[in-house]
Amino acid sequence: MASLSAIKPRWRLTRRSRRALNFYAFISPWLIGFILLTLVPVAVGVWLSFTNYDGLNVNNIKWVGTAWYQRFPRDRQAVESLKLVFIWTALNTPTWLVLSFVLAFIMSKVTRFRGFFRTMWYLPSVIPVVAVAWTWRTLLNDNYGLINQAVNTIRSGTVIHFLTEEALISLTMISVWMGLGNGIVIFLAGLQDISPELEDAAAIDGAGRLSSLRYIIIPMMTPIIFFQLVQSIVFAMQMFALPLLLSPSGGAGLSTAPQKDVFLYMIYAFQQIFQRQRFGYGVALIWILFAIIIVITIVLFWSRRYWVWTEKK
Amino acid sequence: MAALSLDRQNVRGIGCGTGLVLITIVLFIPILWMLMLSLKTEGEYSQSALQLLPTIPQWDNYWDALTKIDFAKFMLNSLVLSLLYTVPTVITSAMAGFAFASLEGPGKRLYFGIIIAMLMIPAIVFIIPQFVIFARLRLTGSYWPWFLWGISGNAFHIFLFRQFFAGFPKELQEAAEADGASIARFFVQILLPNAKPALATSFILSFAYVWGDWFLPTIYLNADNTNLAAMLLNGYRNPQGFTITTVTMAAAVLYVLPLVIMFFLTQRWIMEGIATSGLKG
Repeated sequence: MASLSAIKPRWRLTRRSRRALNFYAFISPWLIGFILLTLVPVAVGVWLSFTNYDGLNVNNIKWVGTAWYQRFPRDRQAVESLKLVFIWTALNTPTWLVLSFVLAFIMSKVTRFRGFFRTMWYLPSVIPVVAVAWTWRTLLNDNYGLINQAVNTIRSGTVIHFLTEEALISLTMISVWMGLGNGIVIFLAGLQDISPELEDAAAIDGAGRLSSLRYIIIPMMTPIIFFQLVQSIVFAMQMFALPLLLSPSGGAGLSTAPQKDVFLYMIYAFQQIFQRQRFGYGVALIWILFAIIIVITIVLFWSRRYWVWTEKK
Repeated sequence: MAALSLDRQNVRGIGCGTGLVLITIVLFIPILWMLMLSLKTEGEYSQSALQLLPTIPQWDNYWDALTKIDFAKFMLNSLVLSLLYTVPTVITSAMAGFAFASLEGPGKRLYFGIIIAMLMIPAIVFIIPQFVIFARLRLTGSYWPWFLWGISGNAFHIFLFRQFFAGFPKELQEAAEADGASIARFFVQILLPNAKPALATSFILSFAYVWGDWFLPTIYLNADNTNLAAMLLNGYRNPQGFTITTVTMAAAVLYVLPLVIMFFLTQRWIMEGIATSGLKG
């Protein structure tokens, strides 16, 4: 017996280190990739924002200090684009959140064909942005588009300039259309997790449908609503592809001149880099937006204690 | 009383059903528009949008899309690029997901914290510095960056796999270890064959991501080796330089079709995968 207990600890140790070795073997592709393709670029990115790098002057890079960061508040278009990002996010996130929730709620009450509708409603999310842009650009075209031709038959001569003057509204509509599938699937999964007995019990206690929604379902859904809210805000604030490609001249991709109301911040930052070769300034602009997004995320996480329901253990 | 409540339920059922059908139709207007436009003549597009169906379906648009814009070449580019990213990313993510679900090692909590943080951190931060580094390494213009991004995996997919593997019975692994099987063998021979839903979800989401991305190909690649998305951006122009919308739409339909087919074949798994991503950490 004595010999066994003498062997056992050593055996355990090797077993544990073997396990650790296995753990590292399995995560190493990710870990090495994380260091080389995430940590190193972040460091390079911070450094770039303090230099005059223009994409070519590798042998002549100068440290410019915080010049780019000081330039931002004096750059009228950059500040204007940042304001637009807030307006656009304030328009997109609630619309998407409420619509996905309502549609998921309706769907959760349906017993037949639920899978069919879920699949159908998800389909727009499968279509890549380039095809989405072509479809909507023609659908909303001033002269040839379906809606404007319909408007024209009702009131001849009237045109709704969806892609130019109303670009922000159109962008919201299309972005919501693209995102509904995801929102619905996640909300529906959450709604199906709420036990029906809870609603039945509330109904027996005399609660109507609306009050059970208000006092049971929505509070229980707040963790998912919170998660969706954060994701949606982070997504919306980085938006750049769709508003560019939806412009009537959107076929030019990155060199498209964006519409005034959807000249979002990231479009401006990328155009500074790829059109004007101002890598330093563009990267500094991105770090400013990054900081703003992180602050918003932290505030949202902090706000959880006031409105997000947690299961008491 | 019983009859009355039955009636009310029927009415509600019909109302709900009609609502669902109406919502479906509204959501499908753009998709139907896309399909119909791809079958119209250019004249029908510019004159009669309200005539929803084409008078004579112009299947020639599809033929033109396939022959006049070198569709096959760019489709192959897209396919190679997507697979070059997708295959390694699925493998790396499955491995890391398994490690976070079932293995132990120093720093595990920290690394998993990084994964969670990466789910939230805006991707825009990495795009430009990565581009600058790849340009210095003279890898822009090639498909190397996609392969390297693939090998390094993806936080969302790692999370997906972790959730999936965490649901596996622990006894399975213990039994395999008792039998003297190595962890690698257990992973390859027992775990992976039972992880088809997670593998399919990860594969299709990664594939669709590269297939749909026009931005990175635009900044990294050139007019010749770029993908279908970046090429379609401009649309089809006839030799006179005019954009032919209907042929472009036919090309767009052909471009979207593989994704839609893949989605329909695996939608049950994908729905589960997406639902998993909605918290429940």
